[in-house]
Amino acid sequence: MSAAVAPTPTYRRALLAPRRISAGLQHAYIWLWLVLFALPFVTTTLHSLRAPEGGLTLESYRYVFGSFKENLLLSVEVTVATIVLNLFIAIPAAYAIVRHPIPGKRFILSTLNLALYTPGAVMGISLAITYAFLFDIPRTFVGLLGAYVVGTYPLMLVPIIVALRDLPRVYEEAARTLGANRLTTFFRVELPLLGPGISAGILLTFVIVFNEFLVTLFIAGPNTTTAALRVYNLTRTGFLPSTAALAATMQFVSFIIVLVFFKTFGSRYLKGTYLI
Amino acid sequence: MAHPTVTLSTRESVAPSRASLWKRWKGALIGPGLILPAAIVTILFSVIPLIYLVIVSFTEESSFFFNNPVYTTANYSTVFDRYLPHIQTTIRLALLASLVNLVFGYPFAYILVRRVRYRELVRTLMVFPLFGPLYLAFGIRYVLLPNGPLAPVLDFLGINATTLLISEPMTVFGMAMFTFPFMVMNVGTALSNVDPLLEEAAQTLGAKPWQIFTRVLFPLSRSGILAGFLMCFGWNLGVFVVPILLGGTAQQRVLSITLHQKGLSQFDYGLASAMGIVLMALAFGVTWLSLRFSRGALGA
Repeated sequence: MSAAVAPTPTYRRALLAPRRISAGLQHAYIWLWLVLFALPFVTTTLHSLRAPEGGLTLESYRYVFGSFKENLLLSVEVTVATIVLNLFIAIPAAYAIVRHPIPGKRFILSTLNLALYTPGAVMGISLAITYAFLFDIPRTFVGLLGAYVVGTYPLMLVPIIVALRDLPRVYEEAARTLGANRLTTFFRVELPLLGPGISAGILLTFVIVFNEFLVTLFIAGPNTTTAALRVYNLTRTGFLPSTAALAATMQFVSFIIVLVFFKTFGSRYLKGTYLI
Repeated sequence: MAHPTVTLSTRESVAPSRASLWKRWKGALIGPGLILPAAIVTILFSVIPLIYLVIVSFTEESSFFFNNPVYTTANYSTVFDRYLPHIQTTIRLALLASLVNLVFGYPFAYILVRRVRYRELVRTLMVFPLFGPLYLAFGIRYVLLPNGPLAPVLDFLGINATTLLISEPMTVFGMAMFTFPFMVMNVGTALSNVDPLLEEAAQTLGAKPWQIFTRVLFPLSRSGILAGFLMCFGWNLGVFVVPILLGGTAQQRVLSITLHQKGLSQFDYGLASAMGIVLMALAFGVTWLSLRFSRGALGA
């Protein structure tokens, strides 16, 4: 009996069994793409580290904190401002959409998502014209902020709506029964429980606004050039190591923040949004 | 036991006093009130600019800004006469890139869902394309430059990198890499809803691998394929930087780049707006279709 069973495992363990080869090829295919995903970042970083006479140097990173410092600071400022505004807009809106009856909810939701589906260049040209001739805010910080907020707060809305739908109403009801009013209940009970959803929204806003250059190209001026736009402008004139250093820094910062988020919250709240 | 029922019934039977009327109004107003900030931002920075864009697209060159606008449809006839090749190039590149995504993304999603245990790693590395096409195109261009880091490898393989650099295949590849995660996301969601037992049953009944694909997997993941394809197509319609960095003049004849030149270099706002409207109509049509198909795939 046992002698009859024995041959099967040895056959399966054979190194060149067709099943093994096919499994190996499948994993190789996945790894090929993983290498391709990381390749542009890796080569950009290598280029930024290259010394003119051969060898490696950190020389070009001096520019990142030298002549590019203002662009980076502006990028950080406008990103943080966008995140704060998005929070003030998206949390009440998500709360209203999930918990309150609103007539024409579907229509309102798709209108709110309007900017999300507009191609970057179309949004750019429409805002450039509007800012210049209607609102009179061309090439300003406020203009940038408006464009980023309208383009990204729908992305913050989605994870918060998901988190709010997952949240059982018993917590809210318990707090209300114990005498807390609506506002206290919201700030002390529901808001902390919505943490992961809100963080997912913050992550999405950060990744997009920090790296946005196309709409910015249409509406930014000399004093409102963000770091991503600077990268674009510099790639048009040449491929200097300092440009690569700025591009590598931007990607590195974005990647670290995504990593920290994945480690802390996992990717559950990002389902169905821009990032997987 | 009786106590709660009593309070409930009294609350409902009592005729609405002024206070409770106010309460009911407050209840009805609180929802729209909470959504108001979002609505104001959307109206100011999305609805008004798009309406303005439509108006400008019907005016002659820059006459709109000199108080006596001349209304005309000339911009649209120019777009559809002289710039028809641009519209075709935009659609062709987006279509090719989405096809590349489908052909390479479908097996990727299948292996990811069925075979791979290190899915977190894949998900983490797959965020690089999502940082935007700018860094991708920049990185790929640098890889292919004559003194690039992969030059020895490419030489060894007998590939002439510089002829690859400014070409349509490279442009399509760059675009496809940016939207690859969207395809994997859509197809992967559809495939993870397909029971592996169905494949095993088909295999037991004697189906060849390609038969399993055409008879079982493909029909069951069709909604995900359509949604993913349309999503990639929609994103790629707005392509801007990839042809600039990886393509030649033939690939740079796309709507986004042309409208940027017309609008911001030559100040022909009317023509640029008309191009924008055409591009937006294309993108909205595609998005509308993809939302219809993705409802089944994403469960949204």
